[in-house]
Amino acid sequence: MAHDGVIKKILLYVDGSEECVTAAQYAIALAKKVDAELRALYVVNMSLLKELLRARIFVKIEEMDYEQDLTQDGERYLNYISELARSKGVDIKTELVKGVVNKEVTKKIEEWGIDLLVMGELEPVLSRTDTFHREAELIFRKAKCSVLIVKDAKRVEHIYNTVETE
Amino acid sequence: MRLSDLLTEETITVSLTHKDKQGIIEELLDLAMKTGKINDRTAALKAVMDRENLMSTGLEKGIAVPHAKSKAANDLAMSLGISAEGIDFASADGKPSHLFFFLLAPETAAGPNVQVLAQIARLTADQGFCEALKSASSPGEVLKIIRDAE
Repeated sequence: MAHDGVIKKILLYVDGSEECVTAAQYAIALAKKVDAELRALYVVNMSLLKELLRARIFVKIEEMDYEQDLTQDGERYLNYISELARSKGVDIKTELVKGVVNKEVTKKIEEWGIDLLVMGELEPVLSRTDTFHREAELIFRKAKCSVLIVKDAKRVEHIYNTVETE
Repeated sequence: MRLSDLLTEETITVSLTHKDKQGIIEELLDLAMKTGKINDRTAALKAVMDRENLMSTGLEKGIAVPHAKSKAANDLAMSLGISAEGIDFASADGKPSHLFFFLLAPETAAGPNVQVLAQIARLTADQGFCEALKSASSPGEVLKIIRDAE
């Protein structure tokens, strides 16, 4: 089917937070509404693991163990989001990669020709040393496409629930 | 994720009483038990000691981060102990440890677990922060120092 709309390819950034589930609901509803292709991406934060290894908080076997845990977590989140999409008759392609989070996301935006990145709400006040939300903010600033930050979880849940189930 | 969200005055001590590694870890564990997030003290202690036996969590510059993941934790459980005089914790630089950040995580919370450990690493890289904590005279003061740093 030809896509003539403004939004043709949506990428949902998945980080396991509650906010990203809200973002997923919104992305699914939006993709259905505008007939856009939908993808979801989870990035295993390898730079964080390396940082903990360098700081000697982790030993090598621990780094490998946590990498496995984070990978399994990511697969779980992507499976859950796939189910959310499937239940609304929306096709979604999911991918899990490993690396520096903001770099992997911005790379995929270009590689996949994404024209809208959807992500969960950022924390209102950033902790100065908060690595997690710094990645989200870096993605927001570096993404070369438009970025939609989803807020108002209650309203979004209502929107999602009113999407026709298939 | 902020350390100041995981810590309370109840789970902080500025005067650790034990002088040996096992005693320190048990003291920190007992503080962490006050969070109500640990359901099995024996299993929790085993998990932390098993990790400790892999390699000491005594780092450089007086910092120690005893930690583990375990089914004994329902959620991230954290405590902080301070020893002004320092304790032999078999640290990486051979020097006494003063600041002990204890963390027990559920087996299914890898993401948040890693965030908190990274947060500890980043905060303690600041020597001024560490000195301020060592000089703190009360758990309330410790919490304020951490909040201000975050």
